[in-house]
Amino acid sequence: MKKIRFTRKILTTLLRDKTHYRGRLFVDTASLVARCGILLLLYYYVFSQNGGEINNTAYVFVAWSMLLYFIFMTFGLRNVARSIMQDVQSGTVEILLSRPMSYLWYKMWWQIGSGLYSFIVSFFLGATTLFLIIGLPHTMLTASFFFTFLLTSIGTIFLTLLVYTAVGLLSFWIEEVSPIYWIVDKAVMILGGSYLPIALFPPIMYKIALYSPFGASQFITHTVYESWHYDWPLLISIQLGWIIMMVVVVYLMFSRARAKVSINGG
Amino acid sequence: MDAIVVKNLTKKFTFPVKNESAGFLKNLLRPDTKEVIAVDNISFTVGAGERIAFIGPNGAGKSTTIKMLTGILFPTAGQIRMLGLDPTTERKKLAYQIGTVFGQRSQLLPNLPLTDSFEFFGVMYDLSDAEIQTRTRELIELFDLGSFATQPVRKLSLGQRMRAEVATSLIHRPKIILLDEPTIGLDVVAKKSLRDLLIRLNTEEKTTIFLTSHDVGDIESLCERTIVINHGVVMRDMRTSDIAKDFIYEKYIDLFPKSTFIEFKTLPKGMQYREQTPNKITVAIDLSLLSVTEALKKLLGIFEVNDLDVYDTDLETVIRHMYEKDTIHT
Repeated sequence: MKKIRFTRKILTTLLRDKTHYRGRLFVDTASLVARCGILLLLYYYVFSQNGGEINNTAYVFVAWSMLLYFIFMTFGLRNVARSIMQDVQSGTVEILLSRPMSYLWYKMWWQIGSGLYSFIVSFFLGATTLFLIIGLPHTMLTASFFFTFLLTSIGTIFLTLLVYTAVGLLSFWIEEVSPIYWIVDKAVMILGGSYLPIALFPPIMYKIALYSPFGASQFITHTVYESWHYDWPLLISIQLGWIIMMVVVVYLMFSRARAKVSINGG
Repeated sequence: MDAIVVKNLTKKFTFPVKNESAGFLKNLLRPDTKEVIAVDNISFTVGAGERIAFIGPNGAGKSTTIKMLTGILFPTAGQIRMLGLDPTTERKKLAYQIGTVFGQRSQLLPNLPLTDSFEFFGVMYDLSDAEIQTRTRELIELFDLGSFATQPVRKLSLGQRMRAEVATSLIHRPKIILLDEPTIGLDVVAKKSLRDLLIRLNTEEKTTIFLTSHDVGDIESLCERTIVINHGVVMRDMRTSDIAKDFIYEKYIDLFPKSTFIEFKTLPKGMQYREQTPNKITVAIDLSLLSVTEALKKLLGIFEVNDLDVYDTDLETVIRHMYEKDTIHT
C-alpha cells in the first residue's frame, strides 16, 4: 500500500509539474508531427507508387505501426539512461540513496510520470488525426486486439525502461554513457520500426528484431499487422523473457554499482 | 542513549591505475590497482540531542563518513550504529529516522510550490495526509516560510531555498539530521537565520545535529562539540569552545582605502600584514594579544579607510594551528 500510494504521488506530482510546461507539450507534438508526419508522407508516396501494397502489406498497417512507435517515443522512457547518468555525475544519487525507497523503482516511476502527460495527449491527438485521415485497419477492431495491445504496451514500457536503465547504470563505471546510449537508441529505433516499418524488414533483420531486447522493447509496433493475430503468444512470451532477464541484469548491475558510490567527495 | 556509535570504522577505495610499461590488454583486463584509505580506524559516539561539528579539509574523509552513516556506502571494516540500527543492512529503516541536507544539491521540486515538496516527501516517508498537513504548518511557522510557501521553488532566493531544504528534510520528524555544508553560498543574514533555526530545532524537538562545514562561524555558533578529521584520522574530539580558545586565535580585517594606500607602516604587536596592495590591505589579528575592537582602533588611526570587513580565520588555518601545536608538543 505504501508503495502504491507513493507511486500515485509521483505520477500526480509530475502530471501537475508538466502542466506548468504547456510549451513543452507543443514542442513534443510538433516533434511528433515533424518526424512521424514526414515519414508517413514519404511512405504514402512509396506505397501509392507500388499500387498501394508492398510485401502484401497495405499502407494503413504501416502508418499505424509507425504512429505507435512515435507515440511511445513521446513517453521519453529512454531518458531514464541520461537521468541516471546525471545523478551519478552530479552526486544526486547519494541523496536518493538516503531515502526510504528503492532507487531504481523510484527512477523508473519518475520517468513514467515525466512522460505520461505528453504520451496521453500525443496518443489521443495522433490516433484521432490518423483515424480521421486513413481510418483503422481491421486488425485493430478484433476482440483480442485490445487485450493483447494493453499487455504488450505494459511490456513495452517496462522492457524499454529496463534496457535504458542498464545503459544508465553503466555510468557508475564509465560516467559518460552517451556513446553507448546512442548505439542502443539507434538499435531500438531501427529494430523497433521507426525508419523502416517492420513489415518491410528482410527476413534476417526481422528475426533480429524478434529475438533481440531492442526489437522486443518495441513490439507495440507489431500489434496492427495481421500476423499479430497468430504471433502474439510468441511475441509476448519473448518480451516477458527479456523483461525477466533484464530485471536480473539490472538488479546485478545495481548491486555492483552501489559499491561504486564513492567517487564524489572526500 | 547514544544516537551515533562508530567503532574502528575504516573505508578503503581501490582504483585501477595505468601501468605505462604494460600493454593495452593488461591495462584493460587486469589493471594494477591503487588503494586509498579514506577513513582510517575512527571511533566516536554522539549522544542524543547533541550538536556536533564534523570538520576537516577537502578530502579528509568527512563525506565518506557521512555516506557510511547514512548507509549509502559500505564500510571496509568497523561498526556503525545509528539509533541502534546498522546502516549497511537496515538503510531503509534508518532513513525513516534521519534527515539529510546537502548544501549544494537541492531535493525540492523546482517548478511546483514549496508545499508540494512537503506533501511529496510526506508521502515518501509514509505520513498520513493529516500528519503531513499538521507538520507542514509547524515547519512553515518554525522556519518562517509563510511568505513564499506557495511560490514555485525555482523563484526562491538561495537563503529562502536553504531554509526550505532543511524544513523539508524534517517533515518526518527525524531524530538525527545530517547537514553537509548547509550555509554554503549564503550571505551573512541568511547564515545567521539558518543557524538560529537549527539551534531552535535542537532545543524544541531535541533533534541531534551532525554538521560538516568549512565555515568556522557555523561551527562556533552552532555546535557544542567538534570532531576534526584529516587524512581519514580523527585529530581532535573536543568542546567547540576549547577549539575556539586554543586554535581560533586569529581574525582577519580587510581595509579598503578612501583613494589608495601609499605607505605600509609597521603594525603594532599582535597584527601582521597578510596582503598589501594600493587598493586593499588584509591584516591578521592575534586574538591572544589583541581584541578586534582594539585592533580596529589602532588600524583606523594608521590608515585612511573607506570601508572594512572583519571575518573569521578559515578552517584550513585552524587545522594548520592544530598541526603546529602537535609538532611543538612532540
